[in-house]
Amino acid sequence: MSRPFLGFGLGLRTDHYQHVIEHKPQVDWFEIISENYMVPGGKPLANLDKIRADYPMVMHGVSMSIGSTDPLNQKYLQKLKQLVDRVEPHWLSDHLCWTSVDHVNSHDLLPLPYEEKTIQHIVDRISQVQEFLGRQMLIENLSSYVTYNNSVMPEWEFVNEIAKRADCYILLDINNIFVSANNHHFAPRDYVDGIDSDRVMQFHLAGHSYNGEMIIDTHDHDVCDPVWDLYEYALQRFGAVSTMIERDDNIPAFPELRKELAIAEKIARNTLSKEQLQLSNHSLLQGVA
Amino acid sequence: MSESEQLHDLQQNFMNYVLGEDSDMVDKIESTPALSAKGRLDIYAYAYKSRLKEAITTDYDKLHGYLGDEQFDTVMERYIEKYPSHITNLRYYSISMSKLLSEEAPFNQIPVLAELATIEASFADSFDAADHRFVTVNDLAELAPEAWATLQLDFQKSVQILAMEHNSFEIWKALSDEETPPEATKSEQAVMWIMWRRSDLVSRYRALAEPEYEALKLAKEGENFSAICEKLLDFFSEEETPMKAVGFLQSWIEEEMLSELRA
Ligand SMILES: [Fe+2]
Repeated sequence: MSRPFLGFGLGLRTDHYQHVIEHKPQVDWFEIISENYMVPGGKPLANLDKIRADYPMVMHGVSMSIGSTDPLNQKYLQKLKQLVDRVEPHWLSDHLCWTSVDHVNSHDLLPLPYEEKTIQHIVDRISQVQEFLGRQMLIENLSSYVTYNNSVMPEWEFVNEIAKRADCYILLDINNIFVSANNHHFAPRDYVDGIDSDRVMQFHLAGHSYNGEMIIDTHDHDVCDPVWDLYEYALQRFGAVSTMIERDDNIPAFPELRKELAIAEKIARNTLSKEQLQLSNHSLLQGVA
Repeated sequence: MSESEQLHDLQQNFMNYVLGEDSDMVDKIESTPALSAKGRLDIYAYAYKSRLKEAITTDYDKLHGYLGDEQFDTVMERYIEKYPSHITNLRYYSISMSKLLSEEAPFNQIPVLAELATIEASFADSFDAADHRFVTVNDLAELAPEAWATLQLDFQKSVQILAMEHNSFEIWKALSDEETPPEATKSEQAVMWIMWRRSDLVSRYRALAEPEYEALKLAKEGENFSAICEKLLDFFSEEETPMKAVGFLQSWIEEEMLSELRA
């Protein structure tokens, strides 16, 4: 399939603004957290514009609450659209989760019961969002700590079915697969095997922490070896997929994080052919649709 | 029960657990030998609080320094209990901090706390306020002589006027420089301060003497230059008033507070 490939990116974090602006380090692209720039003006947007001038970007949101039973937040969507117009990202994503109910916001990515009626509810909402934004979006799999009694299918079937029916793409978080596999006792490779390859548009990689027998998705450590192994396995299955590292806490200096990204590049080079790793012509990618 | 009602009830039940309210969510999820249903839900309840505390801590760094960890934590606990989040963006979660501190005992027995919170929230508002063009001295020079009387001024969105009854800005400054803050003292009369962001995107603040404050207040309310001069007659002679008014206007322009001259 002709999946666009942006190469290897990093999450843009305020700690690194200065380094990135001054040194223009080699990184294929940055992923921004959309909400950080949903402010009227000042430094956040000025820095964003400066860095955008030098790098391709994708947008990643945490507040769409696509699985909520509250009506879609129109104000939020309008601001998101404004930001899309400003950034002109290659694509934008949010999580397959809910964050608020009765307009109370948990500011967390909360899991959904995996059953048919949830699928229909979410498909309808993603369709509305895509129509409003005039472009397709990506939905990301979560790290989770609970399984609902009324979940009746594995998470990957739930993700596939939504992506297919809403005609959207999947942001596959390799670390989240590993975390959830541990917490819910399934084999991470079964998840990778189960995901529809032609819906996968981006990978996330991240570190995590142990809390007893549970793994918590903290994004405060380096990517661990089993996650690198799973990444390699995912590359074998899906081919070249735009890959980035998310680091949100205990953030190292930029060059250190860049070194970690080089590990991903090395694994990809050892797993895939040069032709497969050819970067897509960026100008073809304005909006996945 | 309709399908989305079922999902709604499940989500409400979950949220109640997270908020520490009545919930039978533990019966709706699986326990495993690795961890009980309660243990699993507690991960979310813990994450909820710690995420909000992290947001408050980021927003009220100086208040935190002034109170110390333990008392600041008491403030955060109360804030989170009183204000469940109704906003989408965490940036705006803690905006009612000054209100909480001025309204509720025991916090309101130390009035400097609410003032410090006001200062920090105002810096945050100034930091990411909307961008506008800056009026320059050239714009003023190009003004036709007959336009002066009806001249109105638009201020940058970052401009905020703050009334302080205590030496809270000095306390803020000391905390900011990581020095021991001075003893809190109450002024005889509230001191007015202006805070705004210049074109270098750095926020400034300074105290306002009464005449400038009165002129600024009128200008911000949309009153024209004649009305401002009229008000300044309360402070200055008829001879010196026009010069004083022009002086204020010039300094507001030089300090990059204005976004438009409306003739
Ligand atoms: Fe992720």
